[in-house]
Amino acid sequence: MKNLSVFVAIFSLVSLLGCQDAEDLPSTDFTINFKATYGGETLEKNKDYIFGSYPIFFEGCRLYLSDIRLVNAEREVIISEIEYLDFTPENAASATPAILFKNVPEGDYTSVSIGYGVKPQLNAKRPSNFPAGSPLSIEIDYWAGWKSYIFSVLDGKADPDNNGTKNLSFSYHCGSDAVYKIFEFNVPIKVKAGQFTTADIAFDMKEFLTNDDGSLYDMVANPATSNDATNVVVAQALTAHWGRATTITQ
Amino acid sequence: MKHFLQKNAIILVSGLLIAFMAMEACRPQDPDPVTGDLEQIPYNPQSYTIPKPSFFPEIPIPADNPNTVDGVQLGRRLFYDPILSADSTMSCSSCHLPEGSFTDNKKVSTGIDGIAGKRNSMSLLNIAYVTDGFFWDGRAPTLEAQALAPVEDPIELHNDWGTVVAKLKAHPTYPSLFRKAFGIKDRSEITKELAAKAIAQFERILISSGTSKFDRFVEGDVDAFDDEEIDGKLMFFDEGAQYNLPDAQCFHCHGGVTLTGGKFFNNGLDSVGNLNEFKDLGRFLVTGLEFDKGKFRATTVRNIALTAPYMHDGRFETLEEVIEQYHDNGFGVANEGAFLNQIGFPVGNGTYTGLTEYQKKALVKFLHTLTDTTFIKNPDIQNPF
Repeated sequence: MKNLSVFVAIFSLVSLLGCQDAEDLPSTDFTINFKATYGGETLEKNKDYIFGSYPIFFEGCRLYLSDIRLVNAEREVIISEIEYLDFTPENAASATPAILFKNVPEGDYTSVSIGYGVKPQLNAKRPSNFPAGSPLSIEIDYWAGWKSYIFSVLDGKADPDNNGTKNLSFSYHCGSDAVYKIFEFNVPIKVKAGQFTTADIAFDMKEFLTNDDGSLYDMVANPATSNDATNVVVAQALTAHWGRATTITQ
Repeated sequence: MKHFLQKNAIILVSGLLIAFMAMEACRPQDPDPVTGDLEQIPYNPQSYTIPKPSFFPEIPIPADNPNTVDGVQLGRRLFYDPILSADSTMSCSSCHLPEGSFTDNKKVSTGIDGIAGKRNSMSLLNIAYVTDGFFWDGRAPTLEAQALAPVEDPIELHNDWGTVVAKLKAHPTYPSLFRKAFGIKDRSEITKELAAKAIAQFERILISSGTSKFDRFVEGDVDAFDDEEIDGKLMFFDEGAQYNLPDAQCFHCHGGVTLTGGKFFNNGLDSVGNLNEFKDLGRFLVTGLEFDKGKFRATTVRNIALTAPYMHDGRFETLEEVIEQYHDNGFGVANEGAFLNQIGFPVGNGTYTGLTEYQKKALVKFLHTLTDTTFIKNPDIQNPF
């Protein structure tokens, strides 16, 4: 009986420690500065960049992120379930949204996990299911044909002939559950009030349009995600590039 | 000579003085403000739940201007009342008539002085969902800000808000309506901002009924559409690949359940040598961004069959002309929308087949399924006078 009591006491203590909720830890506000870039330079709408051997510009660059997590050996903290980033808003050449996350548990995290797109549980719904102002109430980035949000948008024009006219329009609209992808980045992130309260995440569109072997995505052959079966193929191929196209720093 | 000039100067100054006094005499004077003259009128604001189809998104309502029953009624009255114009001949509704889905079906609108504006009257259907700015160029950030502008526009109602507010204060009915809508204590508290808030509240109730053929089909009534309409829908929303139908690319700019994109595009209307040659610089006048020259807001296509003529300058009389224009893929101007030259099946190297005559016809037929006669006949949005 005595042994049982000791066992129960130890078990309870271990359980209590093990179950220490992230909410019990000291926490602080934490800001992530998001940015879209091209070759490391902040991406601007309608500005000429060089893609391989020819000029290119972007008209639209938007992205949904799901379940942004800070991870270490003790815990995983979801600091955001869904975010919508519009890097090319209607009223400016570019935007670098800084998003404040409240009550982030302090700690030394070893990695960051990000879902690119809208996670399936949320993607099963549609804009009318969400309150006005929610990132998921935005209608222009929902496609009823897919029954899916458009996870990422990259629109623009290119001049592959180098004849002075950008007559190739490209539009990569990636979406549907089959395209949703989670990447984990092994980056140390410290969260501590007054000391470590920000981090930067940049998404590079040149890397997004670069294949894993270093070759450039064949924009001429595949200028768009179309509505046939190749849509998922093109969208999956491009979404696979987010891991390389993402840089997280603190 | 000197004496002659002095004499004429005196006559001129006297004339101006008399003219000024006459103008002032004609201008409605603020009644002597009596503090609390409206307090005996009950102020019991009741929230107005805007009717909307269940499959429509929640309507964005600003925290500082929630819809109330009395606010909407006041706004409706102001919207239809020519008291807003300098000569009391025109109101908001003169250019936004219910039967035209709140357009005037004219190429461009004409104001009280008979001067034609340069842009077509926009439909106000589902205007509450617009978030990126009102007017064709998006220059008004809110519906409240938008409602202020036409009153003082010299080619629209050509009035000044000082005069309007004075008339409203002196009016036998309006002070009590403002009291009921906003709880003001006396008529001196009537302002242009409150008037604009009321008008915005009314405009926010201009929501589709959800009973168009399109809505019935989407909500499960498969018999609502014939085959041609189905083909048109599949092409409009780029859903037709498995039925061997091409993409018409329409929904990229007219997307979502409200078909109200709200974003700004150069949709390939004009061939210009450079962006400065656009006759109307559109969105550029607001943002100053070079590539916004010649861009305009994409309107809702719900009730599009009722809102002819089309485009910001009303240049097209028919939907057939509109489809043909898009089908021509624009002119290769640098800032034309990317989807303009992706219409049809892809055939490689960034080129597309375009649409057949049947496919264009099916698209037009589909656009007609968006007609919502229940909305335009809704008694709650008609002229109350």
